[in-house]
Amino acid sequence: MHALIQGVILGILTGGVYALMASGQTLIFGIMKVVNLAQGAMVIMAAYLSYQLFTTFGMDPFLAIPITTLLMFGLGVGVELLFLRPLRREDKSELSLLVTFAIALLIEGVLSVTWGTTYRSINTTYANSSWTLWGYQITVVRFWAFVLSLVALGLLFWLLNRTRFGRAVRATVQNPESARLLGVEAQWVSALGFGLGAATAAAAGSIYGLLYPFTPGSHYDLISRLLSIVVLGGLGSVGGAVIAAVIVSTSSAIVAATISPAWSEMTFFVILILVLLIRPQGLFGSVNRGAI
Amino acid sequence: MQQSNRLWRKGVVAVIAGAVVLTLGACASSSNDAGATASASSKAPLVIGASISLTGDFADSGKAVKRGYDLWAAEVNAKGGVLGRKVTMKLVDDASSPTQVVSNYQNLINRDKVDLVFGPFSSLLTVPASQVAKRYSYAFLEPAGGGPKVFAQKLDNLFFVQPAPVVKSGDVFADWILSLPADKRPKTAAYTELDDPFAQPIAENIRTRFEAAGIKTVYQQVYPAETQDFSAIMAKVVAANPDVLVGGTQNEDAYAQVKTLVQLKFSPKFMFLSNGANSPLEFPTKVGPQNTAGIMSAGDWFPGSTAAGSAGFEAAYIKANGGTADTIDNSSAEAFATGQLIEAVAAKTGKIDNATIITSLHQGEWPTVLGNLSWGADGAPSGSFNLIQWQNGKLVPVFPAATAKATPVYPKPNWGG
Repeated sequence: MHALIQGVILGILTGGVYALMASGQTLIFGIMKVVNLAQGAMVIMAAYLSYQLFTTFGMDPFLAIPITTLLMFGLGVGVELLFLRPLRREDKSELSLLVTFAIALLIEGVLSVTWGTTYRSINTTYANSSWTLWGYQITVVRFWAFVLSLVALGLLFWLLNRTRFGRAVRATVQNPESARLLGVEAQWVSALGFGLGAATAAAAGSIYGLLYPFTPGSHYDLISRLLSIVVLGGLGSVGGAVIAAVIVSTSSAIVAATISPAWSEMTFFVILILVLLIRPQGLFGSVNRGAI
Repeated sequence: MQQSNRLWRKGVVAVIAGAVVLTLGACASSSNDAGATASASSKAPLVIGASISLTGDFADSGKAVKRGYDLWAAEVNAKGGVLGRKVTMKLVDDASSPTQVVSNYQNLINRDKVDLVFGPFSSLLTVPASQVAKRYSYAFLEPAGGGPKVFAQKLDNLFFVQPAPVVKSGDVFADWILSLPADKRPKTAAYTELDDPFAQPIAENIRTRFEAAGIKTVYQQVYPAETQDFSAIMAKVVAANPDVLVGGTQNEDAYAQVKTLVQLKFSPKFMFLSNGANSPLEFPTKVGPQNTAGIMSAGDWFPGSTAAGSAGFEAAYIKANGGTADTIDNSSAEAFATGQLIEAVAAKTGKIDNATIITSLHQGEWPTVLGNLSWGADGAPSGSFNLIQWQNGKLVPVFPAATAKATPVYPKPNWGG
């Protein structure tokens, strides 16, 4: 029982980081109807950027987040303008799968050439510290990772719900034609939205690098998890992605503690298949094009 | 229908063409056994070919092997070569690919007509490569392919240049534990094993020995290679409260196990990790130097070893590559030992051809920087690894007594945090 509760605590804390990655992914889908297969690669790229800032300047990965976020935001906007904009409107969704996968491979290649293929990890002084609470261990890194993910998600919600840009984004998601008639520059919303998705990947990447070792190839594992979280939450629903991330990572911790760690990695996909059978639109997705 | 017919015809043509090429290849090979005997005059250079993973998954380890081969060649040439012949290493990249490695050895043997070949990195590449060497009757000395599949081929031309097959590398830990007086031995054990042919069997061999000696198994768990998060597994280890934790590990999972145990504030009395903890540089940087004390692993070469040529190797390596003795990768030492064996055979027999190497190495013990090596008929070495332990931030051999430089510390000191 103790092992189970311990596992669940750590599962929930990890869920926050996945929520952050998945929120960017689902946002990009909501705005552009593009399934961004490069989201995982962008997370790993940001992890490498934080790694470099940490090893060269001794900068704490948490403090590096504003820098990586800005850099990746710029990269995201660039990717949208260069690779996604030229796609023809009618088959954009299908072609974007190929294009974003190509971008993922490109990023993987660049990372391999720059940093090599061995595992890297960011070892801060507090990497192994933990607090004891009623006999349970709360690891410092995971706790702060969780808190920061919540802060980043809060910022994202604020941006979407309280700013002019957010209104434009939501309008575009609900009805791009009407949004354009009302003067929303859908093209710019797309570019900035993709940039925003990349920025959340950046924030999550800095935190991911603190939690786990990574190689350029780590994005394959990540993207499959992210896709199942996004589908579970309902494509395009940021709130759904957050809840789905916590559900998935907690249940995988429970499976690892009660059945076997060998099955815990499977949990993501079992949940995904069940959702597709029972509620194909996901927990919070609507059948029509809906709100985020 | 028309199209499928055409495709079918194309397929037949391709198959016939393939068959012709294969037959020609076989003819060429049967007439080429001359490669097995030294054809050049005695003062021509001794050309040794090897395929190395300079790119791809094994690139880092491949480069370590290359440093070992190159260093040996430079050292032996400085002494005047092997039987007066200067050694030239011909190293080609296989990109860590088991198909490329086959073409590489075929080219080295058939086209470049090298005198001898050395092995590539990893069992994955050693298996197909050793088949090529066998076909042309080349001796196949290889420093980095020690998995069960390598020896299951039962090749008489293959010699794995390490003290023991990989799956037996942890046996020395069981030897040591069972040599302790009964009241000092652990009573309970937990086993965390990576689902990998180079990790799990090491821990399982130890478990078999421990259970036979009455050490109770309180937890045993095999985890898949994708496992990133060890919180759940280690939480169960903590709940089982074992005296000894045996990790059948590779690298990243070993680091993660240690870090998670530190976070969970549980320090077992004995801890053995089959791999990861034997990396002198990586391990302390990954888990924090304050958390290494008392952790045990298995190794063949270590800085300060008194084995044949070891001091010279250490000095030459640092001169050529910089750094300190602690930064020397074992793969480099194993590659260097491969060259030493050639020198030793030449010195003993006065000849340096493949047939002589094969028959010589099957008899007696051969001194190298890894200690004295000897082989069974399938190329599996019949020695044992050293038990090594982290003491005061350094890896030191602690068992068996013959090679030990310090006495084992137990129970393991608590984590430094």
